[in-house]
Amino acid sequence: MKSQFTRREVLRAGLYGVGIGAAGIVPVPPLFASTAQALGAQISNNGRILVVLELSGGNDGLNTLVPYADDAYYRLRPKIGIRAGSLRKIDEHFGFSSGMAGFERLYKEGTLAVVHGCGYENPSFSHFTSMAYWHTAAPNRGDEYGWVGRAADAISPKAPPNFLVNIDTRQSLAVRSRVHTPLVFDDPNKFTRDGFYEERDVFARVADPGGVENPSRRYLLDIARSAKSASALVKEAWAKYKSPVDYGITGLDLPKVAALIDAGLPARLYYTSYRNNAFDTHVFQGDVHQRILTYTSDAVSAFMQDLKRIGRADDVAVMIFSEFGRRVPENTSLGTDHGAANLMFVAGGKVKGGHYGKIPSLTNLDAGDNLVYTTDFRRVYATMISGWLGFQDAPAILNGKFETFDMFV
Amino acid sequence: MQRTGPAGWQNDLTPITPSDWNYEFASHLLERAGFGGAPEEIQTLARLTPEAAVRRLVYFQNIPNDLPAFDHSGVHDPGLEPFPESRPAVTKLAKEKGEALGIKVKPGGDRPLQPIVNKFFYWLRASVIETQRVAYWWANRMVATRRPLEEKMALFWHGHFAVNEAKVRDYRKTLGQLELFHKHGTGNFRDLMVAVAKDPAMLSFLDAGVNVKGAPNENFAREIMELFTMGVGNYSEKDIREAARAFTGWNYVDLTFVVNKDRHDSGPKTFLGSTGNFDGVDVIDIILKQPVTARFIAGKVYRFFVRQELAPEMQERLGALIRNSDYKIAPLLEAIFLSRDFYSPASVGTQIKSPIQLAISTFKKLGLKEAPGVPDFNVATGALGQRLFSPPTVAGWAEGRAWVTPGLLLERGNFARDILFPDINFLPSDRYNGAADIRTVAVKIRQGLDISTATMPDRGGETGLAESNMLADRDEDFNTRYGSFRGWQMAIEKVKPIPRQAARIDLSRMVADAGLKNTTEVVDYFVRRFMRVAPADEKRRILTSFLDGELRTSDIAVAKTYMEDSLRLLLHLIMSEPEYQLS
Repeated sequence: MKSQFTRREVLRAGLYGVGIGAAGIVPVPPLFASTAQALGAQISNNGRILVVLELSGGNDGLNTLVPYADDAYYRLRPKIGIRAGSLRKIDEHFGFSSGMAGFERLYKEGTLAVVHGCGYENPSFSHFTSMAYWHTAAPNRGDEYGWVGRAADAISPKAPPNFLVNIDTRQSLAVRSRVHTPLVFDDPNKFTRDGFYEERDVFARVADPGGVENPSRRYLLDIARSAKSASALVKEAWAKYKSPVDYGITGLDLPKVAALIDAGLPARLYYTSYRNNAFDTHVFQGDVHQRILTYTSDAVSAFMQDLKRIGRADDVAVMIFSEFGRRVPENTSLGTDHGAANLMFVAGGKVKGGHYGKIPSLTNLDAGDNLVYTTDFRRVYATMISGWLGFQDAPAILNGKFETFDMFV
Repeated sequence: MQRTGPAGWQNDLTPITPSDWNYEFASHLLERAGFGGAPEEIQTLARLTPEAAVRRLVYFQNIPNDLPAFDHSGVHDPGLEPFPESRPAVTKLAKEKGEALGIKVKPGGDRPLQPIVNKFFYWLRASVIETQRVAYWWANRMVATRRPLEEKMALFWHGHFAVNEAKVRDYRKTLGQLELFHKHGTGNFRDLMVAVAKDPAMLSFLDAGVNVKGAPNENFAREIMELFTMGVGNYSEKDIREAARAFTGWNYVDLTFVVNKDRHDSGPKTFLGSTGNFDGVDVIDIILKQPVTARFIAGKVYRFFVRQELAPEMQERLGALIRNSDYKIAPLLEAIFLSRDFYSPASVGTQIKSPIQLAISTFKKLGLKEAPGVPDFNVATGALGQRLFSPPTVAGWAEGRAWVTPGLLLERGNFARDILFPDINFLPSDRYNGAADIRTVAVKIRQGLDISTATMPDRGGETGLAESNMLADRDEDFNTRYGSFRGWQMAIEKVKPIPRQAARIDLSRMVADAGLKNTTEVVDYFVRRFMRVAPADEKRRILTSFLDGELRTSDIAVAKTYMEDSLRLLLHLIMSEPEYQLS
């Protein structure tokens, strides 16, 4: 049944999605203060790994998976709409942008889920605000901790080191956690102390943050302990990792994730991003957007191939999102402005490929010419938390109950 | 000596008095209003009254600026203007017009567009490398200036009006923007805002050039409000669209601001409750009338110079201060630097240094007169998370705790090592291109291979080539990989090299000049000279016993002829401490 969803089934799959129920929100009392203790009994230990890939800048979902059968698409995008002939068609309605051979392959082998119409009420058109909402799973509100960080707190309240990994030059709000110190690094070759032999005894002693009043100093001492516990592991994992798989021109940070998984790091949550607002395509978006989609598609499909090689494809799922989609009508600069609802993707060996959620209408737009969301993005988060990671009380992490998708084999 | 005032000073804007003032306070002031300094520099400020010390830093115009202007390599030529947005756009233009970037298409033969593609890559690379030189020039100003707040404030505005050379692709524009920050940095915010909005760097960075009547592009108007003046939540999407209309037609030709009248929407707009035939300057003036704007700017300045946490009531008062002085920045800075709050325990030693602050203050505390050529300043600070002219997004750099991750904390220690023990395998990033495909093409061309063969990618063995690698292998009227290689070669011929003098450090001399007698005194002196927050006493003892072990004596008189390397190890250990990251 994998990739044989017909158009009718697509729509049916999305029928959760009509009216008020679209968002599927049932507020629950905030449990979070006591999450760590109260939920200890439900700790999930299915060993599965979640990798979150953020496409920063607001990916143009309509030019990623193009609804070529919908005339409205070409009417609203007369110049930048991608002609049906150059697409990589996956069914009678949709086709991937021409460079996305990797996504096409994953879709056709039935391991890529496409979730339509993901967004939230009263969308923000600010990159930074909207991204913060996605990072915290708290639209129009925000939270001190990120949703991945809160998931780590709930799933692993004793906070063993290296449970939560963020590969980037800076820590994302998404991984900000109450009890975990996320392992954050960028270049594994540089994640090492270049110490002299004579200095090793001094470097071996990391001060205890206990009793320190200056909060910045305490923070740095915590960081120093994390660095000490992780750097040797990461360096060794990276040195041992050799893959014949071609990740393409950038590879993003996925080879590093593969290396750590291969080395058996205890991490179950990885967070990484296509950085620096790369997807913010206001002007002349055609070539550049196609290029970065190609890089993304190459990297993700290579990652899945690499996981197969090391025998871990069934243990890992990759969830891909962006802070918003883009305005449906093109602008006059051959680009698109900040929009609202968008696609999310989930790839993995155990993923039931196909379409999820209701496809948003291209003719019934909101006042600002944006897609009206049909799927609260937290439904996908909830799906990853309970459906994938096996932690049943997703509402405690997401501060609300969200209907999940039946997405995994 | 008191390092801070009492805890009760927090959120108190009362000016401190001469009786509060001491060397430690002066050291804190110089650290924040500048980039710290050697003890002599701090002593000079400590000898003044606090008011005179602050005024000397804030009203720096009285101190002559005797630093050299930027020395251009001469890489630009008029044929490059206007520079097309991408390589496909260049080749398309060339095919249509028979000419692009000042070069005519060859009438025939293999790859008739190749010289044009080469020049396209030449300019991209030349601008990138010249930007590295501009960054060095600026870093050297930060080290050598007698007006440190001028540079510190320029750094603040660079993060505030964040523009990235990678998108602007013209070092002359980013340099021009820096000149605005130098000129207006502590002056009137309105002057600065208007100048920035009309400056080609920002116009280019936020796509203002394509914001035209009938089809406004919102990027520019949105960021002006969200990031530069008011902050999110203080205006509607409609306000953004109306403001975008007011900025329609604003554009630049090469380095000059122009308004294309026929592309400007001169109709009435309703913006933040006012209606009129507004243009961009009117919009800025309306924004500046909003009380939230003064609070936003004052708050951002405060967080940069003092600390991240800012009580709403304090922000209100600082906002009133800036509004009452007609948006002049200097009086705000003067009030902040003189306030008890600035010297309270919540403010002193609680700021995590930015990578630029870390690098420049390290150089200054070592007594260097310029940024060392090894390690490369841009590569080193970039690896630490802050490369000049390369902020990650239009929001600039996230300050505070975001500066340090486990990976970056180790990197900071490694940076110190690279200053104290320069890498003998150093490769200059303004000459050597680390990209594997450029190096491979260079080797194959030298071997006499034809361009098609020389540019074929090597990889793709058992699992096949990724789509992007197949696409990059373009070989038709031009060859992209060859253009990329040749463009680099042409760029390093034109751009002047960055001097590669390593830091000249003499710690033995420093110890002798300070008259230090034993290893305990040395550790105490280094801790005081280099750190704003001392490590735990136990760490001090560990460091002293380390130095004793290295020197095999605690008597400096015995060790003075052979102690240099041991002192450098000690300093490397100190600079690797978590506390060294605090200012």
